[in-house]
Amino acid sequence: MTVEADFIPATSEAKPEYSPIDVSSKAFWSQTFEQREGRFARLRALEPVSWQRPVEDAVAPDPHDPGYWALVKHADIVRVSRDAKTFISGQGVMFDLLAPMFLEMSQSFLAMDGPKHDHLRKLISSAFTPRRIQRIDEQIKVAAREVVDGFAGNPSGEIDFATDCAEKLPVRLFCDMFGVPDQLRARTAKAAADIVSWADPEALAGRSPAEVQLGACQTLHGIAAQLITERRKSPADDLFTNLVQAEVDGERLTDAEIGAFFVLLSVAGTDTTKHTSSLTVKALTDFPDQREWLRADYQGRIKTAVEEFVRFASPVMTFRRTAVVETELGGKKIIPGDKVVLFYPSGNWDADVFADPDRFDLSRDPNPHLGFGGGGAHFCLGNQLAKGALRALFSELLTRLPDFEAGEPDLLGTNFMRGVKRLPFRFRPER
Amino acid sequence: MRIVVDRDRCTGLGMCEAEAPDLFEVQDDGTLKLLNDRPGAPDRESAESAVLACPTEALSLVED
Repeated sequence: MTVEADFIPATSEAKPEYSPIDVSSKAFWSQTFEQREGRFARLRALEPVSWQRPVEDAVAPDPHDPGYWALVKHADIVRVSRDAKTFISGQGVMFDLLAPMFLEMSQSFLAMDGPKHDHLRKLISSAFTPRRIQRIDEQIKVAAREVVDGFAGNPSGEIDFATDCAEKLPVRLFCDMFGVPDQLRARTAKAAADIVSWADPEALAGRSPAEVQLGACQTLHGIAAQLITERRKSPADDLFTNLVQAEVDGERLTDAEIGAFFVLLSVAGTDTTKHTSSLTVKALTDFPDQREWLRADYQGRIKTAVEEFVRFASPVMTFRRTAVVETELGGKKIIPGDKVVLFYPSGNWDADVFADPDRFDLSRDPNPHLGFGGGGAHFCLGNQLAKGALRALFSELLTRLPDFEAGEPDLLGTNFMRGVKRLPFRFRPER
Repeated sequence: MRIVVDRDRCTGLGMCEAEAPDLFEVQDDGTLKLLNDRPGAPDRESAESAVLACPTEALSLVED
């Protein structure tokens, strides 16, 4: 990220002691989701806005970083998300401290505010509206069917759901929309997955986190460069063509800007839905009554149910904002430069909003979960596409392989994405 | 009753369109078009849902 002239530095001025209920340690982020929720529950009850030490074992530690405010209540996360005049994204949105070069290459409008953000996002946003997603509904259904065709007849009756199913659908839909040709799809998917794997020892395989993230960014920028050249020569009906033809304030986007755009969307558009699918087959295994309830009237119930899929999965765990105006949160004084971190799974388990939050309740309605963010200008652009993909995929799974069983997920070590690396999945094969 | 759009807040996400497709349509350039800014009583409920669904709080209903 370029440091702007008006960058407001963080300060340790007027801060309390670090909270004894710590959510910055590597040990905390190595726990299971359920164990972490136990600590979030204590924070929600005892210290809903807490001052925390900087995240431990950061990729690019900042010796001047004094720490951050942890927001764990639904109402606070919503308030900060919707008040972009007080809490900005332009000083970074990642909880972890990542390499500046990586952020420059990957964040695009995610880490921007105001008109600049809105202009860039609107270059593609019309492709993701409910009407437009409705129009490609048949295409989404065909894609889901073909993904399940790929393994449903497998006589072993066992696959790794994460790689053999969950990843395939969103990658295909993303690549269709952007116009990524078949021969580049596997590389795109691998690089998008690498970007969120920076704290996972297995994914790193001895390499440094910065090396893996920068390598993946370079791969995606390389793919973008190739597509930019092709679409400038011969435009097509895809989002890459929109981007090469777009003008913002009379100027074309640079190749680097288009590349960063592509990196952002490749992660946002694939990993999230992938992990939500995996976590949902696990939840449907753990709550068989809910599976039966859904199957009894799939068409009538899936629209409500899919919101609970997203709440219960809570795939994105953290984003941050920076205060630029003095304010108060939970009785604590927040001053310009203070970082605030939004812990979405904690908000999704807040009993003030969700009765019996540990229960996977597919009839939950209303379900104002934070799975797509807490509202505001950064609310998930792809929410309609994600929900369309989940509806189509689970229609196939529950119709064709209704007695599937998921085993224990092998989770990605990270404080950003609730990622599933592997998930054993057994089913009665189709004949 | 009249629907008012705060153009500075609207990001063209189209959550309103999902709630009330007869009243709202996001255009190809991302701007929101009101198909009917003075909905009658039958559309009142869907208009209210659209106002609530907007994540940027860009919509409001004004009684004339």
